[in-house]
Amino acid sequence: MKKLVHLFILVFLFVLFSKPVFAESSYVLPYPSSMPGGLAYKFHLIYNAISKYWYFGDFGQFDYNLKMADKYLVEAKTLFEYKQYLLADRALKKSDSYFIKIRDSLIKAKNKNRNVVDKMLVLKEASEKHIEVLKKMDLDLPDTFIWTPEKSAPTTLNLQKIFGNSILLREKNL
Amino acid sequence: MKQLIIVLYFVFLFLLTVFSYAFVDPNLFYLKILYSGFSFSHRLLATSFYTLFVIVFFIFYGIFTWWAIKKKINIKKIFILLIISCGILLFSYPAMLSYDIFNYIATSKVLFFYKENPYIIMPVEFIGDPLSLYTHAANKIALYGPFWVLLTGVPHFLGFGNFVLTLLSFKLLIIFFYLATLFVFWKISRNVMATSLFAFNPLVIVETLISGHNDIIMMFFAILSFFLLLKKKIFFAILSLILSIFIKYATILLTPVFLYALWKTIRAKEINWRNIFYFSSLLMFAGFLLSPIREEIYPWYSIWFLSFAFLLINNKFLVTISIVFSFSLLLRYIPYMLTGTYAGLTPVLKEIISFSPPILYCIYYVFKKKI
Repeated sequence: MKKLVHLFILVFLFVLFSKPVFAESSYVLPYPSSMPGGLAYKFHLIYNAISKYWYFGDFGQFDYNLKMADKYLVEAKTLFEYKQYLLADRALKKSDSYFIKIRDSLIKAKNKNRNVVDKMLVLKEASEKHIEVLKKMDLDLPDTFIWTPEKSAPTTLNLQKIFGNSILLREKNL
Repeated sequence: MKQLIIVLYFVFLFLLTVFSYAFVDPNLFYLKILYSGFSFSHRLLATSFYTLFVIVFFIFYGIFTWWAIKKKINIKKIFILLIISCGILLFSYPAMLSYDIFNYIATSKVLFFYKENPYIIMPVEFIGDPLSLYTHAANKIALYGPFWVLLTGVPHFLGFGNFVLTLLSFKLLIIFFYLATLFVFWKISRNVMATSLFAFNPLVIVETLISGHNDIIMMFFAILSFFLLLKKKIFFAILSLILSIFIKYATILLTPVFLYALWKTIRAKEINWRNIFYFSSLLMFAGFLLSPIREEIYPWYSIWFLSFAFLLINNKFLVTISIVFSFSLLLRYIPYMLTGTYAGLTPVLKEIISFSPPILYCIYYVFKKKI
C-alpha cells in the first residue's frame, strides 16, 4: 500500500511538472550570421554566390546546400523573433530552395555508385532539426500577419501555411 | 677501390630497398604478397637494422664528401651515381617511415577521380574506398597548397587507376624534382662539394627518394626563384617563389629575404648572395623549429634549411650542424619503431634524440673556439 502511495505521488508530480517537448535532434545549427540591412550582409551574399563554385562535385554541393539551408533557417528564425516577418519569410523561402537541392546532389552521387548512407543520415538529422525549429516558431507566432510598410501596400502573410510548406518539404527526408 | 665502394653503395641501397618492405602496412592489400609483418613482430630487430642502415649510410656520405673534397669525383659522375641511386630507390616501399605518400594519392583521387574539392571533402567520406584502410590522414581535408594538388594530377593519370603504377608515378615525380633541384643547386653553387653534400645527404635521400615527401618540390621552386633572380629574370623568379609557396606554404618565410634581393636587383645594386642564402637558411630553420605549433617536428622538414645551408660551404659550423641534424633526425624514428606507440616516453625520447647531438656539437664548437 505504501509503495502504491509513493508511485501515485511520483506519477502526480510527473504529470504536474512535465510539459510537452519536441523530439530534439542532436544536429547543431550554426550561429546567426549578419542580418539583412547591413553592409556585411551584402558581402555575405556575394561570398555565398562565389563559394557555390568552390563547393563543386556532388558531395561538395551536398555540403554547400545544407550549409546554406541551415544558415537561412537560422536567419529566418532570428528575423521572426525580431518580428521582421517579411524578411524572415524571404529567408525561409531561401532556406527551402537550398534544402530541395540537397537530396538531388545525393541522388546524383548515388547514381555514380557512391555510398551515400552517411550523408543520408546527416540529411535526416538536419531535417529533424529544421522541423523542430519550424514547429517551435509555428507555435510562437500568429497564424497570419498583415505587414504594413510605410509607403506601400500591406502584405498578408499566412505564417501557418509558410511553416506548413517548409515542414512538409523537410518531412520528405525522414 | 673507388669502384668497389660505388658497387657496395648500390648493394647497400638495394638492401635498404628490400628492408623497406619489412614495413608494409597490413591494410595495404595491393601489396599483400609482400607483407611479412616483420617490423611489427620483431621491433627490436627492425630498429637495430634501421639504426645500422643509418650509420652505414652516413659512412658512405662521409666517403663521398671526402672524394668531393679531394676532387676525386666530378659533377658528371655525381649525377650518374644519383640517377642509378634513384633507379634503385624508386622501387623502395615509401611508407617505411611516413604515410604521407598515401595522403598525396588520396587527395589527388578526391579531385581527379571523384571530381570533388579536396579542401572540403575528406577521403574518408567515400565509404567503401580502400584508401581509408591505409591512408592515415583520410579524415583530413587537403593539407597542402593548390599547386601541389594540381601537380598530383600528373602521377594520378599516369597511374591509369592502378595503385602500384600510381605509387611509382608519384615517386617518379619526386625523383624528377630531386634531380632538378640538384641541377639548380649545382648551377648556383658551381661547387662539387656543396652539391655532393646536399645530393648524398642520407636524410635528403631517405625522405625524398624513399618516403617521397613533396618538400623537395617546394624547395626546388624556392631555389629556382633565387637562381632566376640571380639571372635577373624577375617575373619568373617571383612566379617560382609563388609556386613554391603554393606547394606547402612554408617558403612564405623566405618572402622578406626574397623581397630584399628583388629590391637590390631592381636597383641594380650588388647582392651578397652568401648573406641571402644564410638568412634563407635561418628563416627556414625557424620554420622548422616552429612546426610543432601545427603538429610536430618531422625529419623531412629539415630539407627546408638543408637546401640553403649546403650552399654555404665555407660556413663550417652551419654545414657541420646540418649534417649532425640530418643524422639525429633520422634516428628520431627509433622510439616509435621500437615501441610501436606515440604515447608514453616516445615523444620525449624523440626530442632528446633529435636535439641532443646538435646541442652537444654547439657546446663542443663554443669550447673549441674558446680554446
